[in-house]
Amino acid sequence: MNLQVIGCSHHNSSVSVREKLAFTEDQVRSFLDKYHQSFPKSEAVLLSTCNRTEFYAAGKSADGVPSSQQMIEFLADNRGLKAGEISNNLFAHQDRAAIAHLFSVAASLDSMVVGEAQILSQVKQAYQLAVDTGHQIPLTHQVFQTAMKVAKRVASETDIHTTRVSVPSVAVNVLTKQIFERLADKRILILGAGKMAEETLTYIAANGGKDIVVTNRTRSRAEGLAEKFNGQIAPWDALDKQLIDADLIVSTTGATEPVVTNEQFKSVAQKRQAKTLLILDLAIPRDFDSKIGDYESVYLYTLDDLQKECEKNRQSRQSQWPKARKIVEQETANFFQDVHRRNSGSTIALLKKQANEVKNSELERLLSRLDRLTPEQEAEIEQSFHRLVNKLLHPPLKSINSDQSSEAGGLLDAMKRLFQLGD
Amino acid sequence: MEWLQKISISCFAASYLVVFGIELSRVFFQFELRRYVRIGFTAAGLFAHTAFLIYHTQLSFDSQGIWLGSWFGWCLSGAWVLAAVYLWLSLRKPHSLIGMFLLPVTLMLIWFGHSFSDAAPFSPGRAKTVWNMVHGSSLLLGTVVVALGFVFGIMYLIQSRRLKQKRTGSFRLPSLEWLNIWAERSLIGSTVLLCGGLASGIALKMVQQSSASSSVAGDGTIPWSDPVIWTSAVLFLWLLAATIISTFYKPARRGRKVAYVVTISFLFLLLELVIVWQVGHATDKQAHNAPHAPWSVQATRSVSGRALAAGSLINLDPLFLAKAPQPAASALRLTLGGIS
Repeated sequence: MNLQVIGCSHHNSSVSVREKLAFTEDQVRSFLDKYHQSFPKSEAVLLSTCNRTEFYAAGKSADGVPSSQQMIEFLADNRGLKAGEISNNLFAHQDRAAIAHLFSVAASLDSMVVGEAQILSQVKQAYQLAVDTGHQIPLTHQVFQTAMKVAKRVASETDIHTTRVSVPSVAVNVLTKQIFERLADKRILILGAGKMAEETLTYIAANGGKDIVVTNRTRSRAEGLAEKFNGQIAPWDALDKQLIDADLIVSTTGATEPVVTNEQFKSVAQKRQAKTLLILDLAIPRDFDSKIGDYESVYLYTLDDLQKECEKNRQSRQSQWPKARKIVEQETANFFQDVHRRNSGSTIALLKKQANEVKNSELERLLSRLDRLTPEQEAEIEQSFHRLVNKLLHPPLKSINSDQSSEAGGLLDAMKRLFQLGD
Repeated sequence: MEWLQKISISCFAASYLVVFGIELSRVFFQFELRRYVRIGFTAAGLFAHTAFLIYHTQLSFDSQGIWLGSWFGWCLSGAWVLAAVYLWLSLRKPHSLIGMFLLPVTLMLIWFGHSFSDAAPFSPGRAKTVWNMVHGSSLLLGTVVVALGFVFGIMYLIQSRRLKQKRTGSFRLPSLEWLNIWAERSLIGSTVLLCGGLASGIALKMVQQSSASSSVAGDGTIPWSDPVIWTSAVLFLWLLAATIISTFYKPARRGRKVAYVVTISFLFLLLELVIVWQVGHATDKQAHNAPHAPWSVQATRSVSGRALAAGSLINLDPLFLAKAPQPAASALRLTLGGIS
């Protein structure tokens, strides 16, 4: 098997380059159709996410698969670019390195947030799109199926996926679950309407949060956010009333002074009647006076507190990294052994068949020329030919069987060419 | 069903101990299959525990007293309910470290039961009346619910402290909301059950007094001077006051207050149990020596039951026979003679 991959990711290219090379689903279909017209002897899969675009091409023989340069040109041409514009931002891997790369990507070891679960479904989707184009892709099928198996193995044998590493995900998925049993019946108050507020709300909504109230000094921004999450808008002046009713507060304003002071919160606390309150103060500088966290039923977490938790989780993931890498390496080696076994099996069979054909024809010719041979003598000659063929074939067959290295494909190709075995 | 005889306290106590060890290990390291091992051991322990209780209850079924009506049976039954609750919770909340708090209480009850195995049974001279059954079962369940409330309360206080100190790692506990709800429910539940236990106990006492022809207090009045009755009444009033206040005054049922109330209730209950044990409430120590006292039948069955459970039907310890009450030991010797 010959496999090539070229692409860009957050590791080696900027957002502006990744944007240029991003594909929608329809664009991927069109891209694959054009590819099969240009390179009919090979297969292709295109993976396009917000953090990467990867173009995989595979073929039985090297001459059927486009070279890295041809792939870069094809990709650039498809996006209306020149190859020179993007070539410095792309990586290229071949065969074993390409397989190991795909396994790492599927297992989320190559992701921006290592261990994030979304990438596996994106890899599956990319493969499915390639299948849906209607072209035969038996080689890439084998590679992508194994990649999914590797991803599942990494997920089940390591803790790399279990810990959260972004502030909003830690805040909602870890912290709120330690305080609230469910979010569906909780009043969620959002102060500010920036990106952080939106990202946190995405996690809150995913965890069942429904009763959302957004308040912001600029009402229009609050309206946009409230509309997106089916929430309500509260006037900034009525903040105290909202503080009394809230169970969870997410504060992300850009205010330079605290939005809620301890003095202000005293009267709020009395009216809350000891109801549990979680405050996620994600603003810099802080929106809530730190003394507010001293109230018995108030749990005040600042960005620093959450970042410490994120860092702890990152370290925890780092500790799982060698184990995950080892799985990827093992699976890559196993994959190549399987491929080698299948390929060498068919080559050996062809070689033996060809040798036996030569032996039989020479034997026939010799026996027709020799008269008065007893059956025992005929058998002895036949046996001698048989031993000769076996002895001649033994060293090359032994070399093929014992060679498990990445160069095994080269040896097989050499064998095919030397003995003119064909496919 | 000879295998039933071979089940001993050690079987299920050891299972629960293993589960407790597994729960403790969750603080230190992760292990994928641990959940299944933990649930498996709990289920196995609970099965052995159930079989043990059924076997011993059956042995004493025809007697005037029932086997569960002793400190031994009472503690083991309470431990059974706690173990069953633990199994249910570990299925419902598999990631929470509930067993680290609930299993020590369960194991302690088993240990108490084992320590009191030679104590005289309750109400040896009494018939199995409805009042007796209501009194015993209400107090048993009330005690279990108070113990559960204590566990939830302690977990709440720990969880609240961890969250205040911004320490969320190392192990997981149920959410504060869940712990608060269940601590509050256990407070209400224990109030209702202990009310039932106290009322039926008073009714029982009054029925006994009015039926005793020679009794001085046979006028149907409540014997408040009995330390068990007044301490039970004080405990009940404490629980009732806490329940009423928390029902009508929101701040009292929120935050750490409920946790403190259920913790104090548990300590109160422990104190009351010590008093009950000290005064020998519901036991008739004189009956030990009475040649034809009804409890001798109960004792015989209880003793032989324990001997069977230990799997030592023939090789009984002579010291055990010597220590056993005289009528019980005689009956046991007769039983053994009959079998051998």
